[in-house]
Amino acid sequence: MLKKIKHMAENVLKLKPFIAPYKWSFLGAMFMAVFGVGAMTLAPTVEGMITTQLAKDTSHILKGEPGAGVHFDVILRILAVLLVIYLIKTLAQIIGTFWLTNSIQNAMHDMRNEVQNKIRRLPVRYFDNHKFGDILSRVTNDVETVSNALQQSFIQIVTGILTLALAITMMFTIQPLMACISILIIPISLLITRGVVSRSQKQFKAQQDSMGALNGTITELYGGYNEILLFGRQEDSIRQFEEVNDELQKHAFKAQFVSSLMNPLISLTTYLCIGSIAVLGCFQVISGTITVGNLQAFIRYIWQINDPLSQVSQLSTQLQAAFAALNRIYEVLEEEEEVPEADPPVQLSQVKGNVTFDHVTFGYGDTPVVQNLDAQIKAGQMVAIVGPTGAGKTTLINLLLRFYDVEGGSIRIDGVDIRDMRREDLRSLFGMVLQDTWLFSGTIYDNIRYGRLDARKDQVINAAKLANVHHFIRTLPRGYDMMINEEGNNISQGEKQLLTIARAILKDPKILILDEATSSVDTRLEKMLQNAMHKVLEGRTSFVIAHRLSTIKNADMIMVLHDGNIEEVGTHEELMKKRGYYEQLYNSQFAAAQE
Amino acid sequence: MKLILNYLKNYKKIFLLNVISVFGFALVELGIPTIVARMIDRGISGRDAAYIWKMGGVILVISLVGVAGTILLGYCCAYLSTSVVRDLRNDIFRKTQTFSHSEFNRFGTSSLITRTNNDAFQIQMFMNILLRTALMTPVMIVSSIVLVLKASLRLSMVILATIPLIILGVIIVAKISESISENQQNSLEWINRISRENLSGIRVIRAFTNDNYEKKRFDEANLSYMKFSKRLFKLMSVTQPVFFLLMNLAGMLIYWISSILINQNSLQVGQLVAFMDYLFHVMFSIMLFCLVFMMYPKAQVSARRITKVLKTTPSIPTQITEHGEGTEGGNRDSGDLNKIDIKEIRFEHVTFVYPDGEEAVLKDVSFAVNRGETIAFIGSTGSGKSTLINLVPRAYDVTEGSILINGEDIRKLPAQELRQSIGFIPQKAMLFGGTIAENIRYGKKDASMEEVAHAAKVAHAYDFIMEKGGFEELITENATNVSGGQRQRLSIARALVRRPDVYIFDDSFSALDFKTDAKLRGELKKETKEAIVMIVAQRISSIVDADRIVVLNEGSVVGIGTHQELMKGCQIYREIALSQLSEEELANA
Repeated sequence: MLKKIKHMAENVLKLKPFIAPYKWSFLGAMFMAVFGVGAMTLAPTVEGMITTQLAKDTSHILKGEPGAGVHFDVILRILAVLLVIYLIKTLAQIIGTFWLTNSIQNAMHDMRNEVQNKIRRLPVRYFDNHKFGDILSRVTNDVETVSNALQQSFIQIVTGILTLALAITMMFTIQPLMACISILIIPISLLITRGVVSRSQKQFKAQQDSMGALNGTITELYGGYNEILLFGRQEDSIRQFEEVNDELQKHAFKAQFVSSLMNPLISLTTYLCIGSIAVLGCFQVISGTITVGNLQAFIRYIWQINDPLSQVSQLSTQLQAAFAALNRIYEVLEEEEEVPEADPPVQLSQVKGNVTFDHVTFGYGDTPVVQNLDAQIKAGQMVAIVGPTGAGKTTLINLLLRFYDVEGGSIRIDGVDIRDMRREDLRSLFGMVLQDTWLFSGTIYDNIRYGRLDARKDQVINAAKLANVHHFIRTLPRGYDMMINEEGNNISQGEKQLLTIARAILKDPKILILDEATSSVDTRLEKMLQNAMHKVLEGRTSFVIAHRLSTIKNADMIMVLHDGNIEEVGTHEELMKKRGYYEQLYNSQFAAAQE
Repeated sequence: MKLILNYLKNYKKIFLLNVISVFGFALVELGIPTIVARMIDRGISGRDAAYIWKMGGVILVISLVGVAGTILLGYCCAYLSTSVVRDLRNDIFRKTQTFSHSEFNRFGTSSLITRTNNDAFQIQMFMNILLRTALMTPVMIVSSIVLVLKASLRLSMVILATIPLIILGVIIVAKISESISENQQNSLEWINRISRENLSGIRVIRAFTNDNYEKKRFDEANLSYMKFSKRLFKLMSVTQPVFFLLMNLAGMLIYWISSILINQNSLQVGQLVAFMDYLFHVMFSIMLFCLVFMMYPKAQVSARRITKVLKTTPSIPTQITEHGEGTEGGNRDSGDLNKIDIKEIRFEHVTFVYPDGEEAVLKDVSFAVNRGETIAFIGSTGSGKSTLINLVPRAYDVTEGSILINGEDIRKLPAQELRQSIGFIPQKAMLFGGTIAENIRYGKKDASMEEVAHAAKVAHAYDFIMEKGGFEELITENATNVSGGQRQRLSIARALVRRPDVYIFDDSFSALDFKTDAKLRGELKKETKEAIVMIVAQRISSIVDADRIVVLNEGSVVGIGTHQELMKGCQIYREIALSQLSEEELANA
């Protein structure tokens, strides 16, 4: 138990830095909660005073005493007190929630920004080593869970505990014996909660599993709609879906039913408690130990403690979920950041674009990918990097842009080690088009403009023309203003590549990197693009990674990678003459055409 | 709401039970105060111990009955909400299976997934509250009012006066909260979208050093979410205490009036105590009712999204027989439907514009192809070649002109029957979870093992299937255990096993290396001798020996002929060919 509390305290402390800036309104909200609950628990006693007074007066009337009647002055005074209590309660609740909302929502806003900023500072390595969906759920769902728990459950817990404590205190002041009996509700309720939860958890697990199965099934069936349509298999899919769906309903029903047992069972103890207190209380009133008003108030207090008790399990699940979420967020926040920038950074004023790889060694984990690689690229050259999958082509690009840092040797641009430059300055030299195109949900125009945020409209269109994508854009609904949807599946892969090329052209970089940039466009278009790029890139260094060797024939320098080493270097003609690895690669492409 | 009621119709009995069990709950919640009041009035004033004991017993009985009712209520709620949502999901899915390509594209698969999954779940949550609380409230209010009227007519006037006030308040609050919570929901989606993009584009964002731009983009969404959340919570935070205050004030008024009544000796203290308890319960029920209203907007949004799917009329109708699961397997597919014997496909001045597209993707395309012929389509990205062949199985219908099969307009032929005769091999082949054999049988359910093996051999898939462990080997989720090339070959086998009249290859050789490509095509040729073959390809080498090649450029036909003819007569074709092969290589081809 102690360990549990310590664990909880640790978790709560983690929230401190986020709430600290808003601590006054947060503490104010807590203070108001105390007020509100205090007023709420006081109310039944005061209401009971009226009943007692009335009962007393009635008995006087019944006895026919002279001048007997209701003491309106007393009642009025009690009512005035009651009014004050009600007003305090209402105000305290409103002000408290206002303050709480402000502090929590501000804190959560900060937390979201903090997580995003952290993501920006994490090394690329982190994203390569962690599942995408996992990181995503940390920055979205987990923050949401924490936020909901703080906004809704937290205050319920605070008021619940306060209500419980105060109600019990009040009960004891009225009648210790009755209070003792009533308190029995608490352990019994907790036992019931534990019993039900242990059973329902199994059912919830089953529900979760069949939910996952349903999810998997519809993802597959919706994803394969083309096949289903073309092969006319709709009815089979329906049957498959209905089976999984049926299974889910069964488990969901059980889970829901079992967990719904908790409330009635807890209520039952409350009812029975009220019954016995009523019997006992009546005798007490008869014997004159307590007043009628006290009995009424007492019963009201039993109702008051029933409320938080029936929520215990729900709140504790929410709280546990929130703590788990908070821990996952903290794992991200505590992750190691990128290597700090060089201080003072070297700034290149006139970039020519000479690139030197000097004994570069690098590996992901233990396996070396690049070993002792040497290369000199002169400004303005087009360098093609070829080789089989896993030869380390993309790794070179990762190193060049400092997504990863070299483990041995160095990479220099115009003689300056890239580690001595600020990452931002380094990266601003490059324009990059990757095989895996990235577009964000926004208009096509915005997506191209991403290359240079201050570009004018005509510059954007010009870049699109150079990338041979202007005509295509015009055929789209709403043209440049067409929204790329969330999955980016409303335009084809080839078209996406053209858009990202336009983006890179717009950036007008000193050094251009094309990593399988045209793998999804046809060869003729690829050739046209290259010619266009050539014009744009007159005198600029470029790195091209390509699968289709026909498209890199006119490179100034072809680097053939094999197992992390440069196997051969030279122009297409030189390498073909050499009759080495490159020639083999090149000819394997055309084996079929020459049958 | 209408949506839910529609589905509840099928569960009238359980629903009735649900309503009855609500009364059980009302019985305890209201019965106990009544009895306690009696105990105070008769037991205490009359000092009647026997009566007090008797009433204690009554409380015990009522409690048990009430709890039984509540448990029954829980049972009905769980049963109804999960069953209704199951039916709803079935109907959504059933509906989507009648959709054609344009509807799938319009909704997007991920949106359909959310609708079938999360939106339906929202409805389930809402129904739970609805069946429990929303039904309880009227019952509680009505029965309290009856009891209250019985207790004292004059006191009840006070309660009756406040109720309309509260209901009005609830309606106003619900109206305001609906728009706020919709905005809040949208902002949340906005935040999630940007988070997702920031993660997926991590390299690009860093390479373009647009960190600050992204920061701004995110904070915009974040601020908007914060704004609407604050508004929503503040609205709720005012609502609840104010309602309570209202009821409290009514309570005070009741105390005052009852003092007067007691003074006149027309009311008993016990009655007052009971009365105050009723008031407390009415208040509590109304509070819960507010909760329904808070949940309502969220459910409403989901219901709307679901209804949109259910109300969509597919542009190209697909017939689905109602609940025909009973019959063994599916020879129905091939049995009931008339298979169309396709002898000739003719495009006549076909023009096609995508739904809400601006410019035509295909312009005035005409050609014809007969049994035993191979026709190929080539052209740049975006030239419309994929779109063109997708028109044949009626993935879309033409905008102008017509496609004729055996001289009959394709739009007059039922899409399913037409597709029976077509083997389509898409660019990005999708395999389903299940064994390899099952995946190949997707083309023809009742294919024998020999047929399956034969198709696999022709598609050059047999060897790697054997390497993997045979036809009973499982394809994992997202087919991660087969490579792109293997996937394409399985997809080809799937079409082959159908033995269709028309084969359509939509760039289906792209992931194969040149050698396999060539061998596969050699085998295929034997297999498809009697059929119509339509091929879209990027590689010249895949199509050089087609009977006819159609060259497309920006949606128009710029050349039709054999390889040799086009090399001489078609500039664009020459350019394509030369971008891939050198002069000598072409001469050899």
